[in-house]
Amino acid sequence: MSSETSRMKFMCDSSRCIQCFACSVACAEAHDLPVGISRRKVVTLHEGVEGKEVSVSIACMHCSDPPCAKVCPVDCFYIREDGIVLHDKKKCIGCGYCLYACPFGAPQFPRDGAFGMRGVMDKCTMCAGGPEKTNSAEERRFYGQNRIAEGKVPICAAVCATNALLVGDAEDVSAIYRKRTSSRGKGE
Amino acid sequence: MTNHFGDVVGHSKAILIIGANPAVANPIGMKHFLQAKDRNNTQLIVVDPIYTKTAAKADYYLRIRTGTDVAFIYGLLHLIFKNGWEDKEFIKKRVYGMDKVKEEAAKWTPEVVSDVTGIPTDQIVQTATLLAETKPATVVWALGITQHSTGTSNTRILPIMQLALGNMGKKGGGCNIIRGHDNVQGATDMCCLADSLPGYYGLSEGSWKYFAKSWGVDFDWLQSRFASPEWMNKKGFSLAKWWQGVLQEEQTYSSSPIRALWVQGNGLTSMSQTAKIQEALNKLDLLVIAEPFLNEAAVLTNRKDNLYVLPVATQFETEGSVTATNRSSQWRSKVIDPLYECKTDHDVMFEFAKKFGFYDQYTRAMKMDVKEGELVDVKKDFVWPDDAVSEIARTLKTIGLGGWTPERLRKQQENWYMFDPVTLAGAGPMKGQYYGLPWPSWDKKHPGSPVLYDVDVPVNDGGMGFRNRFGLEHDGVNLLAAPSVTVKGSTIKGGYPEITRENIEEVLGSKLTDAEKQKIGSNWKTDISGIIQEKCRAAGVAPYGNARARTIVWEFPDPVPLHREPIHSSRPDLVSKYPTYPDQKNNFRVDVKFISEQQAREWVKEFPTMLVTMRVVNLSGAGMLERSSKYLSHLTPEMFANIHPDLAFKYGIRDGDMMWLHSPQGTKIKVKAQHNQSVTPDRICLPYNFAGVMQGVDLSPNYPEGTKPYTTGESSNTITNYGFDVITQIPEYNAGLCRIEKA
Repeated sequence: MSSETSRMKFMCDSSRCIQCFACSVACAEAHDLPVGISRRKVVTLHEGVEGKEVSVSIACMHCSDPPCAKVCPVDCFYIREDGIVLHDKKKCIGCGYCLYACPFGAPQFPRDGAFGMRGVMDKCTMCAGGPEKTNSAEERRFYGQNRIAEGKVPICAAVCATNALLVGDAEDVSAIYRKRTSSRGKGE
Repeated sequence: MTNHFGDVVGHSKAILIIGANPAVANPIGMKHFLQAKDRNNTQLIVVDPIYTKTAAKADYYLRIRTGTDVAFIYGLLHLIFKNGWEDKEFIKKRVYGMDKVKEEAAKWTPEVVSDVTGIPTDQIVQTATLLAETKPATVVWALGITQHSTGTSNTRILPIMQLALGNMGKKGGGCNIIRGHDNVQGATDMCCLADSLPGYYGLSEGSWKYFAKSWGVDFDWLQSRFASPEWMNKKGFSLAKWWQGVLQEEQTYSSSPIRALWVQGNGLTSMSQTAKIQEALNKLDLLVIAEPFLNEAAVLTNRKDNLYVLPVATQFETEGSVTATNRSSQWRSKVIDPLYECKTDHDVMFEFAKKFGFYDQYTRAMKMDVKEGELVDVKKDFVWPDDAVSEIARTLKTIGLGGWTPERLRKQQENWYMFDPVTLAGAGPMKGQYYGLPWPSWDKKHPGSPVLYDVDVPVNDGGMGFRNRFGLEHDGVNLLAAPSVTVKGSTIKGGYPEITRENIEEVLGSKLTDAEKQKIGSNWKTDISGIIQEKCRAAGVAPYGNARARTIVWEFPDPVPLHREPIHSSRPDLVSKYPTYPDQKNNFRVDVKFISEQQAREWVKEFPTMLVTMRVVNLSGAGMLERSSKYLSHLTPEMFANIHPDLAFKYGIRDGDMMWLHSPQGTKIKVKAQHNQSVTPDRICLPYNFAGVMQGVDLSPNYPEGTKPYTTGESSNTITNYGFDVITQIPEYNAGLCRIEKA
């Protein structure tokens, strides 16, 4: 059971991530992103080095105390009740301060198209759309699909081949990961 | 696969992956290996010439020299036998010929194996010890094992090791060979091959007669379709060397050169000897391509005439059953009708058959069924695909597809959530069935067989012994399983032969009625009446027998697998010690060079770098489909080769520079160098999923308007070295040499 006080979180289990890019490609396809805009990307460290290579999938971490929101000069960020961090592209001026502040490189800056209106910032919405009317054409044009409103899992985690990428209520996510690590060798 | 992915998760304590890279070629399969690690502390051993994405998840990684798999496994067997770690009981009761394997293994000390394979001796000892102490262990492989001039030996030595360790017919054990694409297992079971009728029936007259009967057509009519009767029993050209049928540079054995080529669902541009394929495509009288995406064979050729491209529907626009890597079948529904002027694959074939005047014969069996033990016409029209699936189910007895009726498969699809992913067992209304009815599913009541060769499970619940495939005795030794090996619940104690009309009364101890004697087929494989299967069910007997697995294949050039150096070996000193086969006359209608090519020159002097090909995760096969996706293309925007910085700087090649790679056949490709430490300085590694550039020439003008994919590039297989397996003729994609030159 989820607690009323916990928040929606991503978690990537690097012992499971195989750098297959399914999360990143499915995200781009689902939200019809311009090529080169990676709301979610897969980062591999020590590529090809025996015993050291490790991969992890990264997007906006939907921080509880998001530094992007702290530094935004036009205050375009808002946090939903469930903890998903979103922003209003109509307020955003595309200054890039949030990119300075973000420890994960999540904010993206498209050049053109619907996502690049006036060069504003684009980022992972945890498939929860934006401030426009839920599942409206306008919301879709600016922010992509709103799968959360449809009761669906964010597309990246839905397609993860190895169940490395987990998403959901933080309590549920940690319960899955806790079970994975604590049941090691016990056949479950 | 003898077992299945869920079984690995549930029961395997160790996994040896050799010649497979599921992290890029089968990510969903890879999940199960990672789950096994999480749940059971399963030890993952990866053997590969390259430090792959799969190796990055391994507990133990062994870097092997290309083409030395047989030597490596003998190294493990050497230690297993030397220390008495083999399963003596299992070998004594269920295996034939292990003593010959033991003799060969005696030669392969860790030192010898280390010299041949490049794997340090301590890693060989560690792996052998781990496999001996960790039961059950499963072995996983794919094309890294098969695609060699010794591919057949490679695929034999691994099951031999599993037999020696007693890991066959066990949960968590077995040999789990991963299929790379959707329904590859189904295509194999239907024998889309040059040397067999569907269901591995071969090309003998008996098989043709059985199929003539099953298709409701006259045998003489079938025979009359051939240039002359003897061709009916001869293998056709293989996919690997069909182009020699056109070019005829090597000796061919056919009634005519190949003049027309029909390509439907084949990545022709990712086959080896691409330059030869190009020549052959140019020389043909007629080339027809039928695909959902443009097959780049149409682009590879420079022909201006007699080239037709037919639009064929995708899997989403058709319906039917597909077979997964673990022998299980799944029903797939149609999502939309074929778009635009596309036709489904079968409609294209039906139109073809109508045009050439054999549509009635082609579709007749779909209007027939077995009634009271005889195959008779039952209706005027057929329903696609249900009647095709029913025809397959009642005809292909060799692998036991009798239970795969469209009704059962549809029901499973509707109720998939009632099955357990680890055991595949159904619950509730699906109780008594395994998911996908993994073959053999002998009859309409059979649950399927999730784990092959398990004698602790009754036949009617999915158990069985080894198949009695090779006669009753060899060299005076009984080939049936020992008297103590009784399949659970069977009325016959110990081993028994495959069931035939001649032996059924004696073996099963039951009497046939006169009516049954009239209708029964000559053996279990050709018994249309179903009487043999019915009697076997009653006795808890597998119709194919309960015999010994053989480690000696007396029909093959190497009765016991032997290490033989690749045709283009990086170790000339070992070529004289472990030479390849003599040159081959007429395999798949063409001569094949072995020793003459291997010893023509000391190839490694001019071509000092080992050539390894690989798949990348975002591209499959010839890559046309994926390179037509902007997001997938973006991940690998151009053709490249992974090269170790130490090797690259020897040629003055910086990261990102272009380089030429030359092959012993005189072909060359121009690719981007990508500095990478997954390769050692003695080898390079490149993907095979590109096409559209040929030996430096951009073929862009050959794409019909609007069909060019986002990315094109050289195919690695333009420089794949000459070399083919001695039995299957699969090209030696995975061992060869090249020369690097800065572009």
